[in-house]
Amino acid sequence: MRIGISIEGGREAEAAAAETHGLFGALVSGVAGAECNAGAYAASVTTYVRIVVRLQMGGENPVTLAEEIAVLDNITNGRVVVVADVSGLDAEAAAEDVGLLRRALTPTPLRHEGQRWTVPAGLPEHRATDSVIVTPPPAQIEVPVWAIGASSAACGVPVVRRALREPTTAGLVQPGLVELSGELAQDRETVLAWASAGVTHLFVQGARLDDVSRFLQPEVGMVQFPRIVANAAQPMPWKDLKRASEA
Amino acid sequence: MRFGVGLWCLQSTSSRPRHHGRAYEELVEDARVAEGLGFESLWLSEHHFFYDGYCPAVLTAAAHALANTTTLRVGTGMLLLPYQDASRVAAASVDLGNRCGGRFDLGVGLGYRDVEFDGKGISRRTRARKHEASLDVLDPLAGQDTFTIWGGAQTEAGIRRAGARGYGIVLSGALPLPLARSLVDAHRSAWEEAGRPGGTKPIAGALRNIWVTDDAYEREAVLDWVRASYVLYAGLGWAVAATDDNPLMDFAASGNAAIAEAVATTIIGPAGHVVDQMREVADAGIDYVVCRIALEGAPQGAVHDVMRKLSERVIAEMAQ
Repeated sequence: MRIGISIEGGREAEAAAAETHGLFGALVSGVAGAECNAGAYAASVTTYVRIVVRLQMGGENPVTLAEEIAVLDNITNGRVVVVADVSGLDAEAAAEDVGLLRRALTPTPLRHEGQRWTVPAGLPEHRATDSVIVTPPPAQIEVPVWAIGASSAACGVPVVRRALREPTTAGLVQPGLVELSGELAQDRETVLAWASAGVTHLFVQGARLDDVSRFLQPEVGMVQFPRIVANAAQPMPWKDLKRASEA
Repeated sequence: MRFGVGLWCLQSTSSRPRHHGRAYEELVEDARVAEGLGFESLWLSEHHFFYDGYCPAVLTAAAHALANTTTLRVGTGMLLLPYQDASRVAAASVDLGNRCGGRFDLGVGLGYRDVEFDGKGISRRTRARKHEASLDVLDPLAGQDTFTIWGGAQTEAGIRRAGARGYGIVLSGALPLPLARSLVDAHRSAWEEAGRPGGTKPIAGALRNIWVTDDAYEREAVLDWVRASYVLYAGLGWAVAATDDNPLMDFAASGNAAIAEAVATTIIGPAGHVVDQMREVADAGIDYVVCRIALEGAPQGAVHDVMRKLSERVIAEMAQ
């Protein structure tokens, strides 16, 4: 299992810490409408970690959301993962919005007629085409789209589970989101339980990143991690010999 | 006079292909150069569903540029407001303004391409009404600590709407100077007739094609880059409406003529000549010039070089 961190809006600079601690990604949650601002700011302080954007669905046209994600994916050199937040949408609406978002992120002509959206609208006053291609295309071949919220199971994509009792969904990727206690022994049991439940990518909140990188990620990075490796004294840090000699 | 640079469209065109990721990387490199040379602002442009990836999400692109600079203002020139949910644009603009210390300029326009309106499910006929309703949402949230609203029309009606709200304007780069002068006058009149909202005359800005060079080959090349950049607008179907003093500039229906007229607006030559021309621009009532230097075909090195020449030889001279 891979561990990432969940960052509150406005604290995207902490994404850099995820990178220096060897974590796989940072889940950023900007205010609704400003999610990709948060993603761009997190991208500005990172090079490698996945920028996982919690994107509020339901208000804006999914085509517009896809355009924002496509631009962010190019800004990040293909590091974007979308967590589509379908809170407040019923199952049918959630499925339509997420489905349209995913299709709009492919470089093929898009034509959609649903209960909520018609793309293109085909309004008689327009001289328009019968389909559109969203450009630019994302940097990735396929932007991973996961879902969160009550109707997320209807979306046909991996669901971010927030409790162990929630059912798994189809697919190899099984994301999760959990609040840690900050107490190492307890958090070790927590992440082991999530790993045993088949979760592949777990976002954690409330954890000391030093503990995550030294104790928790290794614990779920292999079968039967030999704890002596993490518990032993840390190797001596390098020091600036030139400055030391001058002193 | 104040100076910015524009317009960054983040394209990968048939004549200048590049990875889209490289376009966004160059945006940051260019913004840092502009910032280092003392330009006040850098402006982005928006279109949708065009083959070259013309930036469809200028707020995200602005966030990218603002996150990687410290003093430069970044503007949208223009965000096409009728296409979007106003409350969402408002939330994003406030968020962005808070993040960057108020360095965000939200330029807004109506949009004109049928394919874009249809793709977004918005009737073009409703664009002016929807635009005004969206501004009603945005206006109370704007301010020095968050974001500044700019109007980006090229018709008198649109310019007057911006003036009546007390917004600054950025006129299109293709407008002949006499037309720009009349629009600036309309902007000021509308502001005065509306009771001078805001108390201070809003800024009259204009995008202008400007290049400093002493070299004959470079001059020829730059004018060809300007031509190529307006060929793109022919592809987009852009037009400038006719007025009493100026004929219709229809880039789709009569491309070559419209392109030639647009190229003819270019201020190009040695620094002294550019300074003289810029003083004529100032005499037209334009107090903020966005130098249109991000041209189709212009290599990044040339753009950086002309930014340096503008900063050192033109802006410095005009500041005296």
